[in-house]
Amino acid sequence: MIEENLNNQDRFLKTVKEAIKASPGGYRKNREELFSRLSQSTIESRLKKIQNRTRADQLKLLDLLMEQAEPINLRVMPVKNLQSASESIKELILDKNPEWGTVKKVAAWKHPLIDKLSLGDALAKYDIPVYQSELKSTDDLPAGKQMIREQIFESFVGITAADFCIAQTASLVMKSHPNQARAVSLVPSIHVAVIELNQIIENLGEFYFLQKWDPIQKKEGLTNCMTLISGPSKTGDIELIMVHGAHGPCELHLFVITGET
Amino acid sequence: MTTISTEHYKNKAKEAIKDDVLQSALAGLQNRLGPATAAMYKNLPEGDELRYKAHEVRMFALDNLDMLLEQLAQKIRQRGGNVFFARDQKEAVNYCLEITRRRKAKLAVKGKSMVSEEIGLNDALIKDGVKAVETDLGEYIVQLAGEHPSHIIAPAIHKTRNQIGSLFEEKLGISYTNDPPTLTKAARKHLRDAFLTADIGFSGCNLACAETGHITTLSNEGNIRLATTLPKVHVAIMGMERIVASLEDHDALFRLLSRGAAAQNLAGYVSYIGGPALDSEIDGPEEFHLVILDNGRSKILADEEFKEILCCIRCAACLNVCPVYGKIGGHSYGCTYTGPIGAVLTPLMTDIGQSKDLFQGESLCGACQDNCPVNINLPRMLLALRAKTAEGDPRWNIKPSSPVEKFIFSIWSKLISNRKAYDFFFRLARFGQKILPTKNGEIRKLPPPFSGWTLDRDMQQIASKSFIQKWKETQK
Repeated sequence: MIEENLNNQDRFLKTVKEAIKASPGGYRKNREELFSRLSQSTIESRLKKIQNRTRADQLKLLDLLMEQAEPINLRVMPVKNLQSASESIKELILDKNPEWGTVKKVAAWKHPLIDKLSLGDALAKYDIPVYQSELKSTDDLPAGKQMIREQIFESFVGITAADFCIAQTASLVMKSHPNQARAVSLVPSIHVAVIELNQIIENLGEFYFLQKWDPIQKKEGLTNCMTLISGPSKTGDIELIMVHGAHGPCELHLFVITGET
Repeated sequence: MTTISTEHYKNKAKEAIKDDVLQSALAGLQNRLGPATAAMYKNLPEGDELRYKAHEVRMFALDNLDMLLEQLAQKIRQRGGNVFFARDQKEAVNYCLEITRRRKAKLAVKGKSMVSEEIGLNDALIKDGVKAVETDLGEYIVQLAGEHPSHIIAPAIHKTRNQIGSLFEEKLGISYTNDPPTLTKAARKHLRDAFLTADIGFSGCNLACAETGHITTLSNEGNIRLATTLPKVHVAIMGMERIVASLEDHDALFRLLSRGAAAQNLAGYVSYIGGPALDSEIDGPEEFHLVILDNGRSKILADEEFKEILCCIRCAACLNVCPVYGKIGGHSYGCTYTGPIGAVLTPLMTDIGQSKDLFQGESLCGACQDNCPVNINLPRMLLALRAKTAEGDPRWNIKPSSPVEKFIFSIWSKLISNRKAYDFFFRLARFGQKILPTKNGEIRKLPPPFSGWTLDRDMQQIASKSFIQKWKETQK
């Protein structure tokens, strides 16, 4: 089957190559020159510029983010510190109602930033469970995963962190990592995300630059599944009338910990 | 893939023009999205010129397509994904059915994918006993109604909220409402079950990245994310030309695509998928398949005149400004691809002769190119297709459509190269036109075979004296 597949591929690509030869467009390159490259000095100077952003610069990016977030219904809430974030999220959970049924359940990533919020403790006295998407043991992985899956499906709020936040497009970037279930930002009706101020970068160009040239990002790669989320779900399929809340979450709340003293 | 024929085109177009509801829907669509997209191009930091850069990025990808596809396949396989190269729709469909049979799949959820329409995937799945549910709201509506999409981005644009309300009342058993948010919620609820229980998810691919080895999917509803994250198997189908070389090429292209498609900065959900989920991950598909489809694209790629059409990123911006599409609607095009893009692509993928009404029906106004996020010269190709029809082309299996017309033009070209013959001809014509019916000094009806010309317009009479004659007289 694999050999058959490879013969298939060879034949297919040969046809493509011959087609290109028949209609050369002038952009043909050698294999080594196919992908864009930058000089080491360019990379270093640009990386430095990003790393050396001052707090004032970061706050400007936060302003840009909030400006771009408004028309797409993304609610951005700057908060001073973790405790403030935890309080605000708790209030949100107490305030909002589930879309279906009345029982309130919350799903969250297992993530250092989210752990520090101690939401489980904060909500325990209200009888609201906070399910962390963490595989606790390696016995019977399928059953473990299925249990977490069901917990997420029953939750009306999903809490995640993010890898980056792109100000210009008001996008949260989430790569795929163990213990950070993809469904948490997708299935519950309300998505709450928590990031720190210095995770905000300027635009898509900067984001792709970092993915290609920042040593840490480069090593990690995009991962098997990376999603850019810009606002809660929406649709205009009925008479082009914009409706917020299609299949993904109906609301998206982003808490930015600014570290203000 | 297509039901196009002259009769089909004429009948459907006539129907569409008479349909007040459709006319109102199309006018609404074009009045909103047309100017909105133009404004969004202007608000780009780089301005409108970014479209030219994007054009180059796409042409670069086409010129190196074999190497890019090879890189994409290699990287996906390294991550445990499967890649299948399908020569035509039969091979693609069979590969998909092999998977659904092996997994004993009963329910499939689908993201909006024109290429899956092209290969007739839904019908094949249903015939094989797999329930295939469209999850994009527009596609879902159209599927419930048993119709075909009429627009690439807004498949149910031809339906009013009242029609959708009645449809949902009938098919979903909810009480009648025509309130879009309520209708959307009803669909949300019904499809949620499908997402949570489906065995397999199908998607298309907006623009793969060769460098990193990922496909990408863009949506606003979140349905593609749901369909490709929750089920255990994800099958993505990709037209082979939908790829860029370097990762940062997506910067320009996604910003342009989002503007062209929906006058947005960036689509709500942009996903990069490079393989199945890791074992250590909690969710995500355990199997990932990418089907790369040719189905006539390599033949287009080999043609210097038409390969540019493969730059298309399927945003439907051209539909949103085309005056012809705005009148006859998507169903008149009788094929998966409609509007100006369909008028070029459908003939090249099926039969130029049979689908000639598509490109002959376009007005060559050029609005499509101006609105295209990658500045594709659609008018040039529409004209080239007309030329092929007039002159014939063995490579595209087309004979000159009217030998009589060709003959008449060869007589005409001889006539106009001879001064005396030309003057004599016009003296005759000046006399002969006196028997034609006129109104307000203009000719109402020309005789066959020219009568088509005066069906909807009057023609000026030939002046009693030609300009040269008058000039000569003033010089005396």
